[in-house]
Amino acid sequence: MIHRLSTFLRHGGYLLVGSIFVLPLWWAFSSSLKPLAQIFHDTSPFNAHALLPFPLDPRAYLEIFRKGFGHALWNSFLVSFLSVTAGLVVNGCAGFAFAVLSFPGKNVLFALTVLTFLAPAEAIAVPLYTVVRNLGWLDTYAGLVVPGLANGITIFLFRQFFAQIPRELAEAARLDGAGWMTILWRIYVPLCKPAIISAGLLIFFFQWEAFLWPLIATRSERMRVVQVALAGFEQQHQTLWNELFAASVISSVIPLLILLPLQRYYLHLVVDSSIKG
Amino acid sequence: MKLKGSVPAAFVLLLPALICLAVFRLYPIALAAWGSFCQESFEEAGRIIFVGLQNYADVLGDPLFWKSLWVTLKLNAVINPIQVVLALLLTVMVNQRFRGIAFYRLLLFVPIGVSLPIACVIWRLMLDPQSGLINSLLGQIGIDKQRFLIDEHQALWSVMAIATWKGVSFWMIFLWAGLQAIPSELYEAARLDGATAATRFFYITLPLLKRTLLFVLVTDTSVNFLLFVPMFLLTRGGPSYSTNVLMYESYRSGFIYGEMGRALAIMMVLILLVSITVVIQFYCLRQKESS
Repeated sequence: MIHRLSTFLRHGGYLLVGSIFVLPLWWAFSSSLKPLAQIFHDTSPFNAHALLPFPLDPRAYLEIFRKGFGHALWNSFLVSFLSVTAGLVVNGCAGFAFAVLSFPGKNVLFALTVLTFLAPAEAIAVPLYTVVRNLGWLDTYAGLVVPGLANGITIFLFRQFFAQIPRELAEAARLDGAGWMTILWRIYVPLCKPAIISAGLLIFFFQWEAFLWPLIATRSERMRVVQVALAGFEQQHQTLWNELFAASVISSVIPLLILLPLQRYYLHLVVDSSIKG
Repeated sequence: MKLKGSVPAAFVLLLPALICLAVFRLYPIALAAWGSFCQESFEEAGRIIFVGLQNYADVLGDPLFWKSLWVTLKLNAVINPIQVVLALLLTVMVNQRFRGIAFYRLLLFVPIGVSLPIACVIWRLMLDPQSGLINSLLGQIGIDKQRFLIDEHQALWSVMAIATWKGVSFWMIFLWAGLQAIPSELYEAARLDGATAATRFFYITLPLLKRTLLFVLVTDTSVNFLLFVPMFLLTRGGPSYSTNVLMYESYRSGFIYGEMGRALAIMMVLILLVSITVVIQFYCLRQKESS
């Protein structure tokens, strides 16, 4: 009896916390599937339909793709993908050098590197704009990807994790004649999968969510990313809340779809370590 | 032990990152720092002249700057501890194993997908004093309509709530990854020794999670000191400057009033502030690690 009560309480608690987390997006989802006039009619005064997609009307979804939202999605996807792949290589290599190798000026360089993450693109948007304009990269994918590639936070993260791996492994491999790239790729990368996934997620989310920099670094409709397109929705189609919600739901579900397989990967890690143990 | 070939390898491995950082971070920071000592000439529009510490003197003599500094510190003193502690508690919640946990995990991780601009738009509608969902729900349990974002005393708290809703699940991924890395044998051994859940948390989870926690705390702090989107999209720094953080004051000075020198001087103060805070956090957590 006590056991059943505690199970009941536990589910109640989880459900309460969970619904707070999910409520805004669920409401946006329900509202995106409604005719425009119905959305605020349902919330004030409150009626249970506010949280149900009823009467069902999927037109908002068709409408946003007619207005070119698909291309913004493609842009965001491409920019994020390029940033993650190139970013992992650039920052991973730097993190490895800081964690494992010894060379003159290491501490100064590392301090300088970490310092740069205190000034992200938002803080230095104006001078950064000047630099990118002089490179002729305004309104290009390079202008969206390259300025954020090397990142103090990511390098710091890699260094933290690489430093936890016993140096004896690298020293032994070195004595066996392995090159540093081999050591990085064959020893450090396999042992640091959680760090690599964390870093990849960090880069992906920062890039997928970036708003201020894409807003000022791109001008044409052709280069517009999702977050900027959404802001445009609000301004151009002021009252079309169902379309804004539809676009919000799509651009929120995509990162989750990328995260879910990785969640499975986390669980695999646990299984792996318990088998080895 | 001194390893052969360290220096050339380090050079090759570091080069791409250092070039990127130099061109897209350090050089712009230097430009910003230089700009904070300059002003547009009054006599000749568009001509930039060096004015020394004038911008800093102006800023430090401006009550609005001190008000913005106070708002920034208040926001960060509350939001950073709350986000990190909440993220930690929820990570422990998510890490439990029982039937149905996968479903709750899904619910708790949903805000990760929602970008801050989107979160702001949705929450603004939900917090609308007249027709918002939250006031309607509060009405169901007999609580009066609240003004939230348009109330001088509630706006900053509303912004914090929105940023926390959005931020906590994001930081949970990192803490969860850290938690997964703790060998389960430790917990089993502790359980066999009769350690309670609280003991296991304080003596195993916390110490072994310290690196991840430090990372989350430092990153979260730098993000929140530069929090800009909610003020930009929702409150415009108001009402009565109650959400006018330094980041927004800098934006207003530069982009609305065209005083770029003042904007950059404020930004320099802000960067200094973040650096000091992060160094203090590092120092305190390192200290504990060695003790």
